[in-house]
Amino acid sequence: MALKDYRPMMERCSNCAGCKFIPFDKVQSLRFAENCPSIGYYNFMTYSARGRFQLSQSLLDGRAEMDETVTDLIHSCTSCGYCDIGCKVTRYNLDVLDHNIEQKAYAVENGKILPGQKPIMDNLAKENSMIPGTKKANRMDWAEGLNMKDLLKEQGEVAFFAGCKYSYTPKLQEVARAAVKLLQGAGVELGTLGAADNCCTGRAKQMGFFQEFEKGANNNIKAFKAAGVKTIVTPCSDCYHSFKRQYAKLGLDVKVLHVVEYIDQLIQEGKLTFTKEVPMTVTYHDPCHLGRLGEDYTPWEGKEKKIFNQIHTWEPRKPRYNGAYGIYDAPRNILKAIPGVKLIEMERIREYSWCCGAGANCQDSNPEFSAWTAGERVTEANATGADVLVTACPWCKDNFDNAVGEDGKTITVLDIIDLVQQAL
Amino acid sequence: MTLSNEIYQALEAIVGKRNISRNLGVRESYRNVPAQSSAHYGPSEHWTPLPQAVVLPGNTEEVQGVIRICNKYGIEFKASTTFWSTMGYIGGDFAIQMDTRRMKSVTIDQKNMTAIIEPFAIGATVQAEAMKYGLNLNIPGVGCSSSTLANFSSWAAFGPNSISMGAGSENMLGVEWVLPSGEVMRTGSWGAGDGWFCGEGPGPSQRGLLRGIFGAAGTFGVCTKMAVRLHPWPGPKVLPTYGTVPAYKANLGDNFKCYTLCFPNWEAWARSTQYFYECDVLYTGHRQFNMFGRDLKAFMLKIITNPDAQLGDLPKLMEDPYLQEQNKSMKLEYQVIIAGITERDMAYKEAAVDYILKETGGWKNEMMLEKDMHDFALLYLTRLGHKNLNYVMCGAYEGTFGLTGNVWKAIEVAEEAAGMKKHWEQTYTHIAATGGDSSMGGVSSIGGGGSTGWEFFTNFDAYDKESVRGTAKFVDGNQQMHNKYAFGPDFCRWNSDVRHMDGYSYTQEEHNEMFSKAPQPWVFAYQYKIREAINPNNLCGTYVRTLDPSTLEKA
Amino acid sequence: MASIKKELVGIVGEQNVIDSPEVLESYSKDQSFATPMMPVMVVKPENAAQVQELVKWANQTKTPLVPVSSAAPHFKGDTVPSVPEAVIVDLSGMNKILSINRQQRMAIVEPGVTYEQLLPALAKEGMTLSVPLTPKANKSVVTSVLEIEPRLNVLHQFNYTEPIRCTEVTYGDGNQIYTGEAGNAPKDLKKQWDLAKWQVHPNGPQMTDMLRMVLQAQGSMGIVTWASLKCELLPTIKKMFLAPAKKSTDLEAFVYKVIWSRFGDKIFMMNRAYLATLLGETREKIAGLKAELPNWVAAVGVSGDIMLPEMKVEGQSKDLEDIAQLTGVPLATSVPGVVGADLNEKVLNPSGATYWKQTAKGAFQDIFFITTLDKTSKFISLMYELAVEAGYPSEDIGVYIQPQHMGTSVHLEFNLPYDAANAVEVKRVKALYEMASREMSKLGAYYARPYGIWCNIQLNKDAQSYVLLQRMKNIFDPNNIMNTGKLTLH
Repeated sequence: MALKDYRPMMERCSNCAGCKFIPFDKVQSLRFAENCPSIGYYNFMTYSARGRFQLSQSLLDGRAEMDETVTDLIHSCTSCGYCDIGCKVTRYNLDVLDHNIEQKAYAVENGKILPGQKPIMDNLAKENSMIPGTKKANRMDWAEGLNMKDLLKEQGEVAFFAGCKYSYTPKLQEVARAAVKLLQGAGVELGTLGAADNCCTGRAKQMGFFQEFEKGANNNIKAFKAAGVKTIVTPCSDCYHSFKRQYAKLGLDVKVLHVVEYIDQLIQEGKLTFTKEVPMTVTYHDPCHLGRLGEDYTPWEGKEKKIFNQIHTWEPRKPRYNGAYGIYDAPRNILKAIPGVKLIEMERIREYSWCCGAGANCQDSNPEFSAWTAGERVTEANATGADVLVTACPWCKDNFDNAVGEDGKTITVLDIIDLVQQAL
Repeated sequence: MTLSNEIYQALEAIVGKRNISRNLGVRESYRNVPAQSSAHYGPSEHWTPLPQAVVLPGNTEEVQGVIRICNKYGIEFKASTTFWSTMGYIGGDFAIQMDTRRMKSVTIDQKNMTAIIEPFAIGATVQAEAMKYGLNLNIPGVGCSSSTLANFSSWAAFGPNSISMGAGSENMLGVEWVLPSGEVMRTGSWGAGDGWFCGEGPGPSQRGLLRGIFGAAGTFGVCTKMAVRLHPWPGPKVLPTYGTVPAYKANLGDNFKCYTLCFPNWEAWARSTQYFYECDVLYTGHRQFNMFGRDLKAFMLKIITNPDAQLGDLPKLMEDPYLQEQNKSMKLEYQVIIAGITERDMAYKEAAVDYILKETGGWKNEMMLEKDMHDFALLYLTRLGHKNLNYVMCGAYEGTFGLTGNVWKAIEVAEEAAGMKKHWEQTYTHIAATGGDSSMGGVSSIGGGGSTGWEFFTNFDAYDKESVRGTAKFVDGNQQMHNKYAFGPDFCRWNSDVRHMDGYSYTQEEHNEMFSKAPQPWVFAYQYKIREAINPNNLCGTYVRTLDPSTLEKA
Repeated sequence: MASIKKELVGIVGEQNVIDSPEVLESYSKDQSFATPMMPVMVVKPENAAQVQELVKWANQTKTPLVPVSSAAPHFKGDTVPSVPEAVIVDLSGMNKILSINRQQRMAIVEPGVTYEQLLPALAKEGMTLSVPLTPKANKSVVTSVLEIEPRLNVLHQFNYTEPIRCTEVTYGDGNQIYTGEAGNAPKDLKKQWDLAKWQVHPNGPQMTDMLRMVLQAQGSMGIVTWASLKCELLPTIKKMFLAPAKKSTDLEAFVYKVIWSRFGDKIFMMNRAYLATLLGETREKIAGLKAELPNWVAAVGVSGDIMLPEMKVEGQSKDLEDIAQLTGVPLATSVPGVVGADLNEKVLNPSGATYWKQTAKGAFQDIFFITTLDKTSKFISLMYELAVEAGYPSEDIGVYIQPQHMGTSVHLEFNLPYDAANAVEVKRVKALYEMASREMSKLGAYYARPYGIWCNIQLNKDAQSYVLLQRMKNIFDPNNIMNTGKLTLH
């Protein structure tokens, strides 16, 4: 779909504020009621999903133009998808996130990008990684000595995909290694794409760089197919969403599991038991791309149909991604299973979790906005009184780590795999 | 005329660089198409005017500073909070839009059951904060996503809880207001710094200048702070919402019950409301789900309470004999919540409801007693967080007809109104065919009962211009019926005499022409004088109806 | 003067214009400390058209008008002219009950209708009207509601202004409209009734609450010639519970909890002096009661009407006992000196021929203002301190705390009886009244109804409100003829 194809949605938005707040039924306090980081930081209506609908109409009608402010505005969105979920609490016919990303693509097509995005995309083109400064040559260093199959050379059913963040960030590399060992210890035979292990490019799509995304995705799909992969396991929530939802649209037909799903499964099957007590209170951050954006993909092609004169439906029935069936329980089951761990929930959780701020590479392209967003989440975690903020995404962890220590935010941030390690 | 750099810089100096923009793209998002979210003005396809700049003040002093600049340079201004309704948008070309998003605090005085709030404190956040202290507030029918302060000060603000809590104006205590002249007014006890507890006096109440049965929708300046009355909440400190999105539910304990009370005919319906007016039993009373239409409501309820359901499931659902029976059962109905402070209190209230049903031949709808349905409806009506369901079917709606006031008069014409709408649904395709009667509204629009307030939900597609235009014609037809019964303007057109359909304000001459014909023109002449006194430069649009008194004196 | 009389006769008729010295003198003063001022004439209009004519005439001739609706005695100074050459507009002769509608629970009355007249008429229809505490028998209901005298039924006070709904008012500029929803329909009650409109909604008629211009205004903005009133159902069962205490603060938690729970149909607190004065029919009885009564009493009324009254009363009675236990106060249907049922009857019904506050010593001065319950104790302490300073006997200070507006504020009232024939007492009480009024204000007392010296005190604290009040006055009474001198800074 092109931006103009979203026109009906733009005009059917009723400005209900659902995209700016957590589901109203869930509001517990003034402090943690809002849920769009973009308008939360910038305050102008234009930054909300509703405002973006209005802006798109103006751009399409030629009333506004993509000057520097508008370009910045369009890209000041982490693509966290909450607006989409918030809208779908009551509406059935608006795909708000898709529109926001399409708006970014419209900007990209017209050469309107942010200065901070250029090095990211340059690095992707050159080094197949979306972390500026990282090199393709070093991508698999983290996996040395782990005895995983090289799926370029031999077939394998289960591919372990670390993703750029785990692959290149020293403190996170240990977490990836721990995840591999854990799965191997439970009898899972893992492989990697080796030299063909390249960025999933999901973030490129989040940023509106559709061509780059499709190019990278198609290459990866070919590699997975060639290797006979039937299951992809990843510890990275971004990669998870990319494979499960975005690659599926392009024809990838494999099972995609996040490491937490695998661990949860192993616990349920009795194949993984925790022997050590880990006495701590924790609070869990639902990563956007594992949670509300982690639902299964259902292929669909159809058209709008009106019934009862004007009621919108689709023919055939269109899948509705409203976050209902994201991955929320698996990580919580793990936390419950670890002896000594007490879970205290934040106010904004599950499908209405607050974003960490790292989405769509905003860490690099909009660092202040990204840092503020992370800071908000750390404040919320602090408010629970928990000792530890646990998450299941390296981007979230990294952004939270950077936010801790500022303005009295003192919580410890752990990847859930770290915590699991402590209990083994 | 455009805003000069000098003026822009003066505004920037007040609110800070970060909180002002004259970027065209930003300004464009501060325009409204009434068909999308009108509130009694429309449907209209036109966009409201483009503001010269958007300003986000953070406190009363900044609001005052901005208004003073506007007075100095003759710039029109309007402040809004959530920007849902067209009312909050400017009405002229040389105008700035104030967005009060940064002002959102809530402070609770538990003992004296009061909350002091700022403009962007929406109903949900005020309620959430109040519930921590065993308190609740009147959330108007527009929903908890709208601004409590804006509703109470500037519009109507009656809703499901008004029968036990009163409507917005009844819940206003002290108010802080920046007048269009740039003066700051603090009403009642607050004016002398004695506290927020009393919004009246000293002597005659100045709040009466700024808010009548409606508020002035911004034409009399910017309300920056308000003390609102709170009410008992014998429930948990946090709503224990459970369930899979979007079918959120809540079990509030044995002292909360939500019923859909059904009646054999309109007379019994009205008699039941009469009983409820007289016995202080209801916590909440609202005809809510009939907004989906007489033909569709039970089926729509099944859709919105099922996480896997969609609107396209309607035709199939409508074949279900059980649901057909339930839909028929709730043909003439409304929803109530009773909340017991104690077990005895609950027992009395249950007995009273049963008594009323017995006396009127009514019954409780069976489907709505099922746990899932009950818990859904209870949460829905308590938090009122699903306002957007007004739009769920087609993307746009208008409230039409508007049978307010005497419930006994309203029921006399209810079937005629329903029939008129049904005829339109069947003859044309402009509006959704929901079954004629789609009226929604409070059992009472005023504390303690005595005045009802209904609107018929008319659903149309804001994207489909034929649908928009056809709906406008439908409203014209309604107006003929309204004229027949001297009901005044159709609900959909309540604001059509305060803003042109093209989004622009009226001229004084146009208002003079309209209101000189009013049954009591001096009502409007006084409003003119008040506007002269507090908005001498006439800077905030024409949502206050005024008549130049000199025209009356000449006559 | 002769020409004034002639012009007035032309408006209201000869029988309704009075200029006898005795009558004029009776209107020149009241029982307060307001400076006496002789009016030049008293007129008694018979209908709204005459009222409008009078106001127009007053504008032309720049004659101050002072509207009065209740018969004497008066106690707050608002009916005493503040400027010379005023004409008293005595509306007590306009005493028709225009309508009683049981279905709508509405009554419409003219200004001369008293509580004594209205309550029995409503009772015939199974209704009653919320009342202030034991009102004067000849008190004008319209004046009582316009001046927002504190009512007993706090939990039905959804609107601060209950029970008044719509009015017919002639403003000081001579224009006459209906306020509230009645202002949106033809200016003819019968025509409105034919349209099934019953003057129920008080707000508006448009974006201005035209009613609020004349509330608490001491007749300084306009004259009301009918008011519609929201009625209550007449109880079929009534009970009253009493909670005694040594200090007022001992009762606060109980009162707050009862208000939060929405139990009962009335609640108030009184100290022994106030209660004794209310109940005692003679000075001797008052003295006897003071010796017997507890220091403080909170009274809660419970009633049932048409909806399962026995179940309601029984349930609420038990729940009140539970609340009392929870908050540590004893609760009973009687305390030494008073039976709850008797007190209930007393407060709900008009006073006898002599207004009850005059029983103790013949004269009295009230000081009242609005505050919140949790602040009342500091005002009470202050009053006792000031009484010592002024030499006023503490045991005579009556205190009444009436929660209002569903509990968000209270009317706090100090009643200071004195013997008007005793110059020493007069001097003392006047000194105490002036000193306490000022000191209470400094502590945060809010004189919402700024009678007498409270006007200067309150308006001096609130410059912006005064500025706006002046603008209101310029709109609704541009020639400043309505009770000239009231609600003005001196």
